[in-house]
Amino acid sequence: MGETFWNLSAERPESISKADADRRNQLMLESPSHSDGDLLRLLGNGDERAFLEFYRRHQGMVYRFALQMSGKTDIAEEVTQDAFVAVMSSAQRYDSERGSVAAFLYGIARNFVLRALERERPYVTILDDPAADYSARMGREAAPGQDVFGELARNERLETLRKAVLALPPAYREVVVLCDLHERDYAEAASALGCAIGTVRSRLHRARALLAEKMRAGERCAV
Amino acid sequence: MNEDRELLPELLEDLRALASDGPREAPPHIEERLKIEFRRRKRHRSLVAWSPVGAAAAAAAIALLFWSHSNKPAAGQNPPVTAAQPIAPAADDVSEASFYPLPEAEGLPAIENAMVVRVELPVSSLQLMGVPVGEERAGASVQADLLLGQDGLARGVRLAP
Repeated sequence: MGETFWNLSAERPESISKADADRRNQLMLESPSHSDGDLLRLLGNGDERAFLEFYRRHQGMVYRFALQMSGKTDIAEEVTQDAFVAVMSSAQRYDSERGSVAAFLYGIARNFVLRALERERPYVTILDDPAADYSARMGREAAPGQDVFGELARNERLETLRKAVLALPPAYREVVVLCDLHERDYAEAASALGCAIGTVRSRLHRARALLAEKMRAGERCAV
Repeated sequence: MNEDRELLPELLEDLRALASDGPREAPPHIEERLKIEFRRRKRHRSLVAWSPVGAAAAAAAIALLFWSHSNKPAAGQNPPVTAAQPIAPAADDVSEASFYPLPEAEGLPAIENAMVVRVELPVSSLQLMGVPVGEERAGASVQADLLLGQDGLARGVRLAP
């Protein structure tokens, strides 16, 4: 009976193939370029090095998405952490046929951002300036020899735009962040948001019109 | 509307500037927290994976205790059948090398007095140990020998011959 499916004393052919698999995984990690799909498979099997490589490769993208969506560094940090914790448990569920790894990550991060924004909503008062936290983090000084006034005007304009993006309804904000700030194409944005490409296109058109309107209003005020 | 169209190229340019603005990286402490969480989950997962083996080993230890305190059977009679029975190992039958080592036994003290206990295990739990077993038998049960140390803790496992 034992001989049929467990032969420890003899050749152990399946153990050899397991060792081969481990060696292959090792080589995969040591190779300079391995795909996100490989890393997800390895980290799903508990490989810490694969997880760290995957995290280092994508953390900036997730963090910036969360920061640009919320305007708050504490939410961005929380979302980044939660998103990668979710990756630990759902790495095996990633299906490359359903979209890119970036879309997979944006989709996870988006759910956490929307949840955080929903949670924060009752506590927002008219004194809150959602862009203030973000702006404080952005704080720049003009380099010596730079056109100080030009730089000031540019910063002011970017600040107005940042506030305008944050003031957009989330459904419009997320397409602006994905397509304009992260330069993702419509298909990838649609995959991340779980909607049709046409929906992304129409929301983006509407969102840009709203932003243009806000920028124009801002310029009028400045004049 | 026309005014908006005129504003659009400028808006797209500003959006590009905004895209290249701001932090590019998450703060380093997040990586540290995630590392800790990853290790915690890995430990938890291996604990869950080994729980059937742990349960079998515990059952074997209890059975062993029960057996050692019960009366010995009369000569020529078979011992009573229990969930696990210590087997009388032949000298060449108990070499540690013939057992598949259990990873959770790595930190245990070396074996001074070994005992081999026969138990019935689901094939799926053998697969969890990394023992190569045919997928088609995953639902079945097999008789396996557990190598117990002097402390009653399992050190290795092998399929009963």
